[in-house]
Amino acid sequence: MLKSLTKITAFVCLLSSIYSCTKSSTSTTTSTVPISATVKDLLADSVIGIDPKTQMPKSVGLYTYFNIEKNKIISIADTANGNWDLAFKTTTILINGGTSGNAQGGAFIYKGLFEDLKNISADSVFKVDNAPTSYAITTGTDKGWYHYDGQTNIVTPVAGRILVIRTAKGKYAKIEITSYCKGGVNLTPSASYEDILFKQRYYNFRFTYQPNGTKIF
Amino acid sequence: MVKDTLFASGDSVVVTATRSERKLSNITVPVTIINAKTIQQNGSLRLTDILKEQTGLTLTSGFGAGVQLQGLNPDYTIILINGEPLVGRTAGVLDLNRIALGNIKKIEIVKGPSSSLYGSEAMAGVINIITDASNVIPLQTSLRYGTYNTLDANVNNTMATKTLFYQGFYNYYNTDGYSIRPNSNNRVTTPINRLTTSQQFKYNLSDNTSLVFNTRLTDENIKSNITVSNGGVSINSNGKEHNTDINLAGTLNHRFSTNLKTSFRSYLTNYISSQDLITLSGAPYNDILNHLFQRVENQTDWTLSKKLSGIFGAGAVWEGVKSSRYDSEKVRKNNSIQYGFTQWEWNPNSKLIVIGGVRFDQNAQYASAWSPKLSMLYKINQKNKIKLSIGQGFKAPDFRQLYLNFTNVAAGNYSVFGSAEAQKVVDQLNNLGQIGALYSNFYALKSLQPESSTGIHLSWDWEPNQKTFISVQAFRNDIKNLIQVEQVGAYVSGAQIFSYLNIGRAFTNGIELETKYQLNHQWSMSGGYQFIVTGDKDQIAKIKEGTVYTRDANGYSTKLALTNYVGLPNISKHKAQIKINYVNTHGLFANFRMVYRSKWAVNNNNGNDVYDNGDSFAAGYVSLHTSVGKDYNNGISLQMGCDNITNYIDPINLSNLPGRTLYFTLKYQLNKKVKK
Repeated sequence: MLKSLTKITAFVCLLSSIYSCTKSSTSTTTSTVPISATVKDLLADSVIGIDPKTQMPKSVGLYTYFNIEKNKIISIADTANGNWDLAFKTTTILINGGTSGNAQGGAFIYKGLFEDLKNISADSVFKVDNAPTSYAITTGTDKGWYHYDGQTNIVTPVAGRILVIRTAKGKYAKIEITSYCKGGVNLTPSASYEDILFKQRYYNFRFTYQPNGTKIF
Repeated sequence: MVKDTLFASGDSVVVTATRSERKLSNITVPVTIINAKTIQQNGSLRLTDILKEQTGLTLTSGFGAGVQLQGLNPDYTIILINGEPLVGRTAGVLDLNRIALGNIKKIEIVKGPSSSLYGSEAMAGVINIITDASNVIPLQTSLRYGTYNTLDANVNNTMATKTLFYQGFYNYYNTDGYSIRPNSNNRVTTPINRLTTSQQFKYNLSDNTSLVFNTRLTDENIKSNITVSNGGVSINSNGKEHNTDINLAGTLNHRFSTNLKTSFRSYLTNYISSQDLITLSGAPYNDILNHLFQRVENQTDWTLSKKLSGIFGAGAVWEGVKSSRYDSEKVRKNNSIQYGFTQWEWNPNSKLIVIGGVRFDQNAQYASAWSPKLSMLYKINQKNKIKLSIGQGFKAPDFRQLYLNFTNVAAGNYSVFGSAEAQKVVDQLNNLGQIGALYSNFYALKSLQPESSTGIHLSWDWEPNQKTFISVQAFRNDIKNLIQVEQVGAYVSGAQIFSYLNIGRAFTNGIELETKYQLNHQWSMSGGYQFIVTGDKDQIAKIKEGTVYTRDANGYSTKLALTNYVGLPNISKHKAQIKINYVNTHGLFANFRMVYRSKWAVNNNNGNDVYDNGDSFAAGYVSLHTSVGKDYNNGISLQMGCDNITNYIDPINLSNLPGRTLYFTLKYQLNKKVKK
């Protein structure tokens, strides 16, 4: 565990670097055509060590808030005005609605391909968060968007799972999480203990946002 | 199909294929024979050592070393010693390291479903270890020492008079174990010592009547250092594991006439395993398993004419298991089985042999099973033979699948309940208000059906000349009612509840090639190759539907194409082995062996529940082994060998392959022969 102390220092540096989250598209104009972008290495509650008693990873315990329309991480101080659509902490993703927020947020999980989801069918039901028992974006291994391997502690996004989001302002977006690991790769069971501990909790995803309020992408 | 050995000839006797003594050249099903000579010259100590060098057999690790046959997991191969089954499986795997090879006369491997003779577990095939009392050497001792402080000592002694025969075998094995994972205190093979003794008494009451008693005891002590990792929690435990395996068998043989004989067999075996671990936090962890198995059986062989003969058999089994993973470790869970079988052999002319048989197993705890089998051998001419067989095999639900009552308090509090207990236990929990959700498959839980398979096997043996043998075989196994663990509900807390259901359908399909070539009196060579394709039929249906996804290079989901489906995990498409052998008239022998296994899927990386080209694979590898020795006229033999010459290791996926090991063996035998 002593070894990880040096890692913690490294992580403080990394924490500061999340604010420079990479973007492939930065368009935030009031366009009416759908906006597509990818987000890389969004850190969702970094691991800062191991609790010697429980052997569980210790972390800061804070959510990372994200505004889809602006394609931007929102600092916690700025979240009060409902200026966020998604909040990430480890494998839990909140939407800005229900018990998590008082905006219009909602979500459900669509099984299929990102490009095949061209419009959200009228009878789709958007769920809202009802913490701690149920979330609009279902938590738990194989239930929502990820698979968790209890032997290796590796989290893998399940292929063919699309998060359909209603934003805080009542507009629509679709999201595909491609990796939960730094650098956008997926860990294999031969990954080192350090990699499994410290390289996970980095969200890589692509999304398409429809600014005109329709359900058509 | 005759394997290696320096070399099993067509006159070798096979008992496992028909439950009666038959010449290998008249056997209608695929059989591999491994002789004592081969075992000795390869320097094999435990059953695992010799099986891993056989074509089409693959060792598995996890819960001990098991063997995969025709692409089927270790659960589906029955392991017999002198025709009596071994029990004591953990998660379906019987640890083949339990079996010492020092007193083995031969090992017979029958491939393909053989439940028509052996009942449950003989779904992929049968491995029968024969310690027959034909050894006529009064005293044999050997001592071997090798890498990792591995010591193996054997004493074999035989005494015989006209009416009485005794053979005793003692083996002591000790190893420090090894760790091939760097920076880990977790030994891949933990320090083990094992004592095996077996005794055989044979008493000839008259020319036509004999009594045989066999006893066998294996006692092993393992120093454990286990890391259990689950639900994000890793727990290190230290302690010991103790396993005892006792086998007692008695047989009365009587010959009424040259055409009619019968044998009564009674058998008792008890496997007791206990783990006493102390976790780093100081909490004790104890786990016991006690499996008692008793059987009585009669088999009568009747030769009606030169062209027609048959066997009839019937028997009963009582078995019970106590385990700390059931609701109470003090209460034995019981099952009883009654069965009957018959098999007829028709020999209309010198070219054709047809064998048909059927067995019926009736039992208390799960649905009964009929297991038919039909096989034939056609000798086209002196050089060519064709064999065709079709049969059904089954594996009964085991005690774990019926009675497990296990809640993992160390990791997430999930529970697994055996199918016979699940409804009762869950109803009780429901009354206490602990159940949060029950899925539709919970209500579908009913008594489990045996898993069953249908196997077809076709082979062609070609002996172009006295020195060359080539055999080509094709097989197909269709498996249904596979028992799998499924979530059937959840606690109020969200923790999962699992049980066992008959849901899977799968197949294995393959080709095997075996060759041997005797260059001259000194040099010979043998080789084998297996190509296998496997698949889960339900997964294939889903892939065809377009509802299985994988990821492309960008990480974006795409529909999985059937061409990227790899089938069942832990199975290598290609397996090959080559052996070059040298012997001379001065007692010098040497061999060089190569075993190849192609890559195999080990982990599902994209969370689609299906193994495809986007998942992780263990790398294919070649291992090389050699051994050289000399038998002196005064009864002394010396042998030295090197296994895994290139020091190939894969700590993650091949924990059962140690690095390079060297050994040296000294053997002495009294050359005076005992008269039988």
